[in-house]
Amino acid sequence: QAILCLPRSFEYSQKNAVLVPVAALGVGGMLLYWLRSGRKIKTIDMGDGWWGSGERHLKGKEDASIRPFKIETSDKEIEDLHRRLDQFRFTPPVEGAAFHYGFNSNYLQKVVAYWRNQFDWHKQVEVLNKYPHFHTTIEGIDIHFIHVKPSYVPHGRAVRPLLMVHGWPGSFYEFYKIIPLLTEPAKHGLNEGDVVFEVICPSIPGYGFSEAPHQKEFDSIATARIFHKLMNRLGFKQYYLQGGDWGSRITTNMAQMLPQSVKGLHLNLVFIAKQSLGRLICTMLGAYVPWLIGFSREDARRFYPFMQKNVYDVLRESGYLHIQATKPDTAGCGLNDSPVGLAAYILEKFSTWTDKSFLHKDDGGLESKYSLDELLTNVMIYWVTSSIVSSMRYYKENFSKDPDLSAHKRVGVYVPTGIAAFPQEIVHVPRVWAKDVYKNIISYSYMPRGGHFAAFEEPKLLAQDIIQFVQKVEQL
Amino acid sequence: EFCSSLAGIMLLEVFLVLGTLLIYFLFSKKKEETLPFKDGWWGRGQKPVTKEDSSIRPFKVETTEEELSDLFRRLDQARFTEPLENSCFHYGTNSVHLRKVVSYWKNQFNWKKQVEVLNKYPQFKTKIQGIDIHFVHVKPPHLPAGQAAKPLLMVHGWPGSFYEFYKIIPLLTDPASHGLGDEHIFEVVCPSIPGYGFSEAPHKKDFNSVSAASVFYELMLRLGFNEFYTQGGDWGWLICTNLAQIAPNHVKGLHLNMVSVSKLGLTHLLSILLGRYFPGLFGFQDEDVRRMFPFLKKGLYRILSESGYAHIQATKPDTVGCGLNDSPVGLAAYILEKFSSWTDMEFQNLEDGGLERKFSLDDLLTNIMIYWVSGCIVSSMHFYKEHLQKGIGTQKHEK
Repeated sequence: QAILCLPRSFEYSQKNAVLVPVAALGVGGMLLYWLRSGRKIKTIDMGDGWWGSGERHLKGKEDASIRPFKIETSDKEIEDLHRRLDQFRFTPPVEGAAFHYGFNSNYLQKVVAYWRNQFDWHKQVEVLNKYPHFHTTIEGIDIHFIHVKPSYVPHGRAVRPLLMVHGWPGSFYEFYKIIPLLTEPAKHGLNEGDVVFEVICPSIPGYGFSEAPHQKEFDSIATARIFHKLMNRLGFKQYYLQGGDWGSRITTNMAQMLPQSVKGLHLNLVFIAKQSLGRLICTMLGAYVPWLIGFSREDARRFYPFMQKNVYDVLRESGYLHIQATKPDTAGCGLNDSPVGLAAYILEKFSTWTDKSFLHKDDGGLESKYSLDELLTNVMIYWVTSSIVSSMRYYKENFSKDPDLSAHKRVGVYVPTGIAAFPQEIVHVPRVWAKDVYKNIISYSYMPRGGHFAAFEEPKLLAQDIIQFVQKVEQL
Repeated sequence: EFCSSLAGIMLLEVFLVLGTLLIYFLFSKKKEETLPFKDGWWGRGQKPVTKEDSSIRPFKVETTEEELSDLFRRLDQARFTEPLENSCFHYGTNSVHLRKVVSYWKNQFNWKKQVEVLNKYPQFKTKIQGIDIHFVHVKPPHLPAGQAAKPLLMVHGWPGSFYEFYKIIPLLTDPASHGLGDEHIFEVVCPSIPGYGFSEAPHKKDFNSVSAASVFYELMLRLGFNEFYTQGGDWGWLICTNLAQIAPNHVKGLHLNMVSVSKLGLTHLLSILLGRYFPGLFGFQDEDVRRMFPFLKKGLYRILSESGYAHIQATKPDTVGCGLNDSPVGLAAYILEKFSSWTDMEFQNLEDGGLERKFSLDDLLTNIMIYWVSGCIVSSMHFYKEHLQKGIGTQKHEK
């Protein structure tokens, strides 16, 4: 047998002399190709869209003018509101309900009394108009935005453009307290360093003073594209993005669509991607050995107990999401007709999503964090624009497609990302999980206090985190 | 010989033991488990020491000019939102069609006439466990000699009411006049679930289906019925089922037009995966297979797309009901959507939701008016929270 092998091994060694280098070259070549194609970052297709009514006008270019806009009101509008507030039909709560059954109607009566007798919409409209508003037509619909530049820029200092996107049931108004901290940080006692912003806050189409899409399937990707076009039209090539709630998803899509335009992405809410079996097992283990799965002590404190915080709490709070993602026209109909119903629906979120313990309070803890004036101003934006139904349709357009197929789930985010994790946010997403999507997290902060409406509730904390994030990006 | 007799004794022993076991087994199975009657006090504040007034008072639905003019004012000021192009009923109630319904409601619907229609059957109220229970009680107009009327309790659901039974009542109390055989004649009792229509809403938490069943059980006893039949769909199916679990000796028969499964076990899972291919193995009939499969489309997706209302009502009823009690148009949109999809899922593809194919606008609006004039939409939704808040499949009556 050994003798027979000899000639064979001779032949093999000859073959090997040729085969091995060829194989090595082949493998090496493939490796190189793979590495290089891996370098080329996958992005979401920009695509295009048309959201105006009827057929798109193919002739002539779209009007790209930017038109100044001022919010207005009339006595007629206010009288109509007052009449509806006066005729509100009240249902007493069950004994001991607090906010466990939703917005407590005893407390609602107090809110309505304030709204009817003390809230001054004329004055609030002036407050809203203190920042410059504009309208511009993109893809067939009027996009509303405010654009605030710093009143004074020290010599040689660069002004960074920052696009901030709101969510539901919020509006551009949520940013009114944080804007001055970003455009004039020094004046407000913030350590400005080198960073000063000019802030642009658009309204998502279908929300507030932005026209609602007339066609179906207007989702966050379409919104991302429109906001890129907006920034482009305003003359910006590179800009920072900030968002929470829908704003988080939209700005993420923007970073996935045109990473070269996004200098940095800052989020106060992270949407978690799909769960897998492995992830589930990790979660179970993590309750006992959090360090094994990459959870910090603070992560574990915020994330566990798992069932309570991530399953029960979410189920309890997501009824609105379920009905809005399936029957928005039904859910919104009565709310566009009854301002009190609209207020109850919206303010319930400002209670529970600010602090979960507010459920136990008879007044939902609302006035411990916000003034009735600012809460009602936000509600009025939905009321005077009749935008509640179109705001709800956004849920259906974004959730009705099979979640696993949506493009943005398969595309990572490579722009520098900063995450501010607020303790009372609805669900806590640890950094190690956020890395699934956000490949380039350069700042992840555990905020000491605050909930879902970060800019509204804790503007200073959020501003500080944004500024330190941008300073880090500028030094990269 | 000795061995055989020993063996014989052993065999006898074995048989004795087996026989005892068998008898014990048979008898223990016969002992039915009943659900305990749930006593409660649902009135305002503390339960008074004095005995409850158990009189049965006749009741008539009434309306006033003020009520009507308030309704019309609200219909006139309704603010609609244009639907998306080509959306039919896929996003919920289509507001273009809703405008037509509202126009009919304002100009042709005659609430005074409908109130007379409602009052054509005798209605009553009686206080049970602290709250006023409303019910319709219809006796047969004529009984053949020697035949007794069978008492039948019929329970409605959400977003329905006692009014749903108005067309079927004569077919049960007077079958002969309607071309049906008169072997069985019924006297029908249709109560309103507490918190619905003209029944007072519970003022305390935890009023669930077992509470409702206990209340209706007391009602039937108070009316003098020892044995009765029960019929129910939607919430009615659960309340009647609970009633049969509480008092099996009083419920002669239970008829349901809806059944829900709350405990999903391995067999159920297997039957979903394999039932299409081996129906016989899981006890499915051909018609079962035709209706259930493809399961994802007809089961899971359908449940997800239609259960948003149940999710929000089971968690935040006070929030979602608030606007509906203030806007009759919002209330109509919310309720009519169910009368469209739950009658036929395909109706979502129609611009008018197929509503008038099966129902008249008068009937649909009368049902809605019952929710409107009684202001009960919020309390009607509490029932969902009281039932679902502890989770599905965890409650005793589900076992």
